[in-house]
Amino acid sequence: MNRKNIKFIVKILALTLVISYVADKLIFYALNKLSDQVMVGQTGGKLNHFLSLKDTLDVIVFGNSRANRHLDVSMMSERSFNIGTDGTDIAYFTTLIKTLPEKKEQLLIINIDTKNFFESDYTGSDIRALKTRFMRNEIITDELRASNHIKPLQNVFYSMNYTNRVLGLLKNYANPKYDYRTYSGYDPLVLSETQKSIRNIIVAEPNKRICYETLRVNPAALKYLKELKTHLEESGKTYVFITSPMYDDPCTNYQLKLTELMREKELKYWDFTNYFKNESDITLWKDKTHMTKKGAERFTKMLIDSLSIKN
Amino acid sequence: MLFNSLDFLIFFVLVFIVYWALNSDYRKQNILLLLSSYVFYGWWDWRFLSLILFSSFVDYFIGLKIKSHTNEKLRKRFLILSLCSNLGLLAVFKYFNFFTESFANAMSVLGWQVDSVTLNIILPVGISFYTFQTLSYTIDVYRRKFEPTKNMLSFFTYVSLFPQLVAGPIERAFNLIPQIESKRIFSNSLFKAGIFQIFIGLIRKIAIADNLAVYVDSIYGNIEIHNATTLVIATIFYAFQIYFDFSGYSDIAIGTAKLLGFNFNRNFNLPYFSKSLTEFWRRWHMSLSFWLRDYLYISLGGNRKGIIITYRNLMLTMLLGGLWHGSSWNFVIWGGIHGIFLSFEKFIFSISKSKDFNAFGYIYTFCIVLFSWIFFRTQDLDSALIIVNKIVSLDFGQPFIGNMNSFSNALFLLILGLAFDLKLFRSGIPLEDYGKKFGSTKLAFILALIILILSLFYSTSENFIYFQF
Repeated sequence: MNRKNIKFIVKILALTLVISYVADKLIFYALNKLSDQVMVGQTGGKLNHFLSLKDTLDVIVFGNSRANRHLDVSMMSERSFNIGTDGTDIAYFTTLIKTLPEKKEQLLIINIDTKNFFESDYTGSDIRALKTRFMRNEIITDELRASNHIKPLQNVFYSMNYTNRVLGLLKNYANPKYDYRTYSGYDPLVLSETQKSIRNIIVAEPNKRICYETLRVNPAALKYLKELKTHLEESGKTYVFITSPMYDDPCTNYQLKLTELMREKELKYWDFTNYFKNESDITLWKDKTHMTKKGAERFTKMLIDSLSIKN
Repeated sequence: MLFNSLDFLIFFVLVFIVYWALNSDYRKQNILLLLSSYVFYGWWDWRFLSLILFSSFVDYFIGLKIKSHTNEKLRKRFLILSLCSNLGLLAVFKYFNFFTESFANAMSVLGWQVDSVTLNIILPVGISFYTFQTLSYTIDVYRRKFEPTKNMLSFFTYVSLFPQLVAGPIERAFNLIPQIESKRIFSNSLFKAGIFQIFIGLIRKIAIADNLAVYVDSIYGNIEIHNATTLVIATIFYAFQIYFDFSGYSDIAIGTAKLLGFNFNRNFNLPYFSKSLTEFWRRWHMSLSFWLRDYLYISLGGNRKGIIITYRNLMLTMLLGGLWHGSSWNFVIWGGIHGIFLSFEKFIFSISKSKDFNAFGYIYTFCIVLFSWIFFRTQDLDSALIIVNKIVSLDFGQPFIGNMNSFSNALFLLILGLAFDLKLFRSGIPLEDYGKKFGSTKLAFILALIILILSLFYSTSENFIYFQF
């Protein structure tokens, strides 16, 4: 290798880096502009919608897809929103709760499940679902940085904040599937005939979830739970943690342990895992963990009674 | 160390700089390559380095012994010793549990209850690849096709050279050892070709294959609940997932080798653009298919001993080729399907005196390959039969899409990958040389574009599919 070769390598690599760096910023800027106008869909639109409304809301539901599918917030208040999002957990909603206004009275209903609290593989990586707001929202950026779930290259290539979301954003920009102004964030499950037959197979099978006897609280989940407790106490929000119903959950020891943990931390927690356990009506279910619209409506009514919420 | 990791990027940049700084003495470069290859492999599990060292020692000395003897019996004994050592390693680490369990099952079918003895063994990464590589060396020396090297450093570097160590391409000694034993020359065109191929490999693996995997895994993880339409879509996605995954790996390996001044052989040549299964095997995992042809099919007699023996040899080669992929009957059946259709084609071509089908052959070939992938992808025979049964009984209906965003990403990237392959196919220029045609500025633009596509569409996978083999 001679000097000419070295010059050649440096030229190609430098040019590649400069072009990709500049193009990355242009794409990031363009995607930000586009994303800000998208208010529908789980690729970022629903989050945008929530962030635009959060300061005016009275009731907010947080949690994963079960929260999203199980709680019809419109039955609770006109100014309510369900920000339950597929595949997310405590890291995600703790961060969102930190973005809420401090002085406003709000009721927070937070759905938690036992799985990530007692299994070792949870790392809080669900916080990555907020990455479209990295470098754009101070609280979210700080939380993402503190979580160590931001890839080192993401600090250089900002368009990585939109990884695997571009097509969804474009689709929701060009053809939003609902009017967000009438959307409460609740996504009821109404099954097609195919889904019904799949459901019938699923619920007939024995539950394959593996339950360990010795339980240790997951450190990442515990860290976020402690942060959440501190924040809820300081901000004076009204809250309740719940676990919504399941078709069958073989890990009863997990349920007991979570109840014990929440009691220990002096956090208000209601466990509804077995709420429909004695009912044989299969139409309440989409699968073993998600209720249909019918199940969700019954559950929401019961929860409203429990919370003594009036319309 | 994975090619698609930051660890490898740092590792390779360091090796690259020191390697070319030592350009005046290729022997020093070889020492660096050997040490860095051991670091690369030891990153997974340093204990398995002992297996590579064992394999290297055995075949180095056996190669010299075979060369030093003129007595054919003695030469053959040394060859058998090499075969036993290498295949013995494979038998213990890869097939022991499979054979004992299969034996116990066969006995129970016959009415005898035999407890199978199983060992708790971890499969060492790349063992199937480097074992075949060292075997090809010894067999070539035995066949007097290649003079064994006396230089231990060269031979050890040949066995362990990190770009091809864990998943090939399975390089022949006559291609690689002469390159190891001579001065490597850096050329700008080789650099352009290499870096372009690495980037194409990354996009094939990280963007296309890993996005397809999301859908495939979700469907193949629950085959009982899905209808035939969904299963066919998942199998089509899998056909392209495994292609882009493995060809992507090979591209990174071949491109990395180019940056170090080595020319590896092609491993994939647009296999889904094949008009027959025979052609498919000249384009798919070429280093393995040519290995099987040269060292198994031909050793069994090839097509020199009559038509019946030819078909037998073809079947045996494909069955063993299937078994090479892993210790499961599914792989054997996969090989068997290919063997049957290769024999069928051999028969058709022999009576029609043609060497290919017409354009319909593209569809025929893809359908056969697709059908065989069902057995390759499923964990056991029962699962494969469930899928086949659903398809045969025409259990079609509305497909399950799952997460629409993941599905549309996978579909978009698949179309992108196929469009690029089609362009390559039409251009007639192999990917290995494609980067050479670009000027430096144009190449930089293309690489930058690939970086942006990766930023926007990368997916995360912990492994390459072929690592498990």
